[in-house]
Amino acid sequence: MALIEARGVTKRFGGLAAVSEVSFDLQDGEILGLIGPNGSGKTTLVNVISGALPYSGGEVRFQGDSLRGLPPYAIGRLGVSRTFQIVKPFRNLTVVENVMVGALFGAHGGARALAVARHRAEEVLDFVSLTHRAGAAADGLNVPERKRMELARALAMRPTVLFLDEVMAGLNPSEIDAAVALIKQIRDRGTTLVVIEHVMKAIRDLSDRILVLFHGEKLTEGPPREVLNNPDVVSAYLGRRYAEQSGA
Amino acid sequence: MRLPSRRVPTVAGALVVAALALAPWGLSPFLVQFLINLFMLAALAESWNIIGGFTGYASFGNVAFFGIGAYTTAVLLTAAAWPFALALPAGGLLAMAFAGLIGMPILRLKGHYFAIATLGVAETMREIVYNLKITGGGTGLTMPITRSPLPFFYLMLAILVAATLVNWWLSASRFGYGLIAIREDEDAAMAMGINTALYKTAAFALSGAFAGLVGGVFAYWITFIDPEGVFRVIVTIQMIIMAVFGGMGTVVGPLLGALVLASVSELLSTQLVSLAELFNGLIVILVVLFMPKGLAEVISKREFSLKKLARNLREYGV
Repeated sequence: MALIEARGVTKRFGGLAAVSEVSFDLQDGEILGLIGPNGSGKTTLVNVISGALPYSGGEVRFQGDSLRGLPPYAIGRLGVSRTFQIVKPFRNLTVVENVMVGALFGAHGGARALAVARHRAEEVLDFVSLTHRAGAAADGLNVPERKRMELARALAMRPTVLFLDEVMAGLNPSEIDAAVALIKQIRDRGTTLVVIEHVMKAIRDLSDRILVLFHGEKLTEGPPREVLNNPDVVSAYLGRRYAEQSGA
Repeated sequence: MRLPSRRVPTVAGALVVAALALAPWGLSPFLVQFLINLFMLAALAESWNIIGGFTGYASFGNVAFFGIGAYTTAVLLTAAAWPFALALPAGGLLAMAFAGLIGMPILRLKGHYFAIATLGVAETMREIVYNLKITGGGTGLTMPITRSPLPFFYLMLAILVAATLVNWWLSASRFGYGLIAIREDEDAAMAMGINTALYKTAAFALSGAFAGLVGGVFAYWITFIDPEGVFRVIVTIQMIIMAVFGGMGTVVGPLLGALVLASVSELLSTQLVSLAELFNGLIVILVVLFMPKGLAEVISKREFSLKKLARNLREYGV
């Protein structure tokens, strides 16, 4: 049985189908790349699965149980976490306190004691190399640091499945390489990942499989080499002319 | 990194409470009355701080809970002839239950909408009480006079201590972190596994319980209550001003705010009542411009400068 089974997931805003009949399986321990042009429905799909938006149709099962209709906090407690594309820091708290919230709540209700949560938060900060900023106000972080803190908060929840929504946007190439290595480590520690990203090099290096959304529909799904050379994907992403020129 | 030590504030707090407990023997009756009033205002500020400061939901209707506590206690005391020892907790419980019930729908609102809804709840409560028979309607209720102010002094002090301890617990507990996360970003809080609807409602109910208890003691202390005197919007405004002035979401902020505001308005109102009200307005303006995070922040970080004023003015587009 797949860890996550999505069947016919649909989300309509009025007449617009932002996500339409999307089905996929997520296997335990894999990294699934989720790509598609802007507006193709990637974030909406994550919002529906994580309970932030109600379904218009379809269903998602996690370890066999339906997630449809559950509030976001309940889904988080089951062990399905997500980061936000537009990061949502707790501005007036320090970095370590931000991460502590993840440790205090999160999967299975998290740590009950503050001291335990702080210890866990410090471990996670060490893991994402943000220890030197632990005591800083979240408000004062730069973009790469904010992305790392967003990731750290989700990790502190000790999720079984983690959806990363563009955690590499705004990073420079060397920071991206570091992020790729970090995400691989997260998987090696036993967390299954769905990675939304526009940085193609990162997606190619990371993903075991790639799923492509286009206008809310699943265009294709498969191993990175195959998917990224698919003429339909190239033309969806880069335009038909580019696809013809490159002879793909 | 270790959690901040709690020993120093514990000792300091215990000393202050001990000194206050002995105060009635050394002070004039006038100062004892002043202290009762101060305890009342501080307890109300701490109770408002739970929902407004920690949770970030600016309630403009907390006087409704104060009023429900006052009237429940008064009605049970007079019409039902309950002993005060039972009537007071009943007032607190009813205020808490009411806050919880009313909170479920209105805590779905945010920002200005929540503020206006709470204001409406308080105004509606006054009209209801005005039109009920059991509350004495517009004529109000009179309670038996107690000659010594000491029971009220110690009750108000006890409620203040309890409310402050609850705020202290919030500042370093799982529940408190949940509330702060809601204040900072409710969507993120929800995604991180916090049952935000439950937490907000619990915070509102807790806030209502303390306001209700204060109202119950107030009713018996003042011996006469009527709708106009109990459900006054200005009481809620004072709670907010004290918490904002002292520092919202901090433990000592509301205490500092209450101390300064009660003292200054006491001094000014002996001169001219309208002067005291002018002072409240002035405080709001000064706080917004000079120290948006309150007195507690200014004292702990020594952040007070003209540069900051200039920056705040720019942010407000002046």
